[in-house]
Amino acid sequence: MAFVVGVNLALAFSLLGLIPSLLNKRFEPFFTLHWWAVGLIFVSGVALLIAYPAKALTNPVFYLKFTALSAGLLITRRLQRSMRCQIANHQPPPDDEPSNEAPTAFAMLACWVVTIGAGRFLAYTHSVLLASRYF
Amino acid sequence: MEQALLAFSHETGIFDFMHSPWGWPVVESLHFFGLSLLIGTVGVFDLRMLGLGSGIAYRHLHRLVPVGVFGYALNVVTGTMFLSSAPDQYLYNPAFQTKLGFMLLAGCNVLWFYTTCSTEVRATADFQAVRGRAKLIGAVSLLAWCAIIACGRLITYYRPPYHWCFWC
Repeated sequence: MAFVVGVNLALAFSLLGLIPSLLNKRFEPFFTLHWWAVGLIFVSGVALLIAYPAKALTNPVFYLKFTALSAGLLITRRLQRSMRCQIANHQPPPDDEPSNEAPTAFAMLACWVVTIGAGRFLAYTHSVLLASRYF
Repeated sequence: MEQALLAFSHETGIFDFMHSPWGWPVVESLHFFGLSLLIGTVGVFDLRMLGLGSGIAYRHLHRLVPVGVFGYALNVVTGTMFLSSAPDQYLYNPAFQTKLGFMLLAGCNVLWFYTTCSTEVRATADFQAVRGRAKLIGAVSLLAWCAIIACGRLITYYRPPYHWCFWC
């Protein structure tokens, strides 16, 4: 999770112009590693959900986390696609141009801050622990 | 030590805040955010030194280091809040002690980097690989931070006095 959020934060900072844009084909290996880490999050997340289904599914914070996480990953996917289109159209990487993608960067930051916060609050806000309570 | 930390926590109001309904989860969220800032900056720089993303300028990624330092400072502050609010749960916890050991390793590694090869790495051309020593520093840094994350997660499962540890 830290790696996924970390890579997205680095991308957001580059979109904000803190460093020259990372959105070029040289960043592709980081995207590959990022999606492997997302796979790991998915597997561990499903395992936790199977272990304590009632704890997560009865807590609204779980849905907030899931929504923010999905939105964050969709933004990353969109950025990766636009980068690939740029490469396919043979446009030069905007290495030294200040980026004008501030709204996207702020949306990314918001999504990941909410994902982290909701993830931590999950442990403190559940009202049901075991599904056996309903049987 | 334990009493001194508790006294500090009470005097500064940290104890009351941490034991309010919002205290612990808010500070935990900030702690994880700080960690993500570190991984997104220092971690990406380490991977670059190890050869991932050839062509990305080292000097550009190095400009993110102050963000990583901010993340580290955030973690030190929030970590101190955890420690001073429940010192007995941390001081005698083998996972916490191991985490501190890896933090020391990561700190020494950073010093090693800045005293031996930071200037050289920043001056390295975009498509050129860094020297073996810089790669070793990058690998040690990555391993140390992975271990710090793992130990951080394990703290809650090794709370004293439920688990025996040979050095407690």
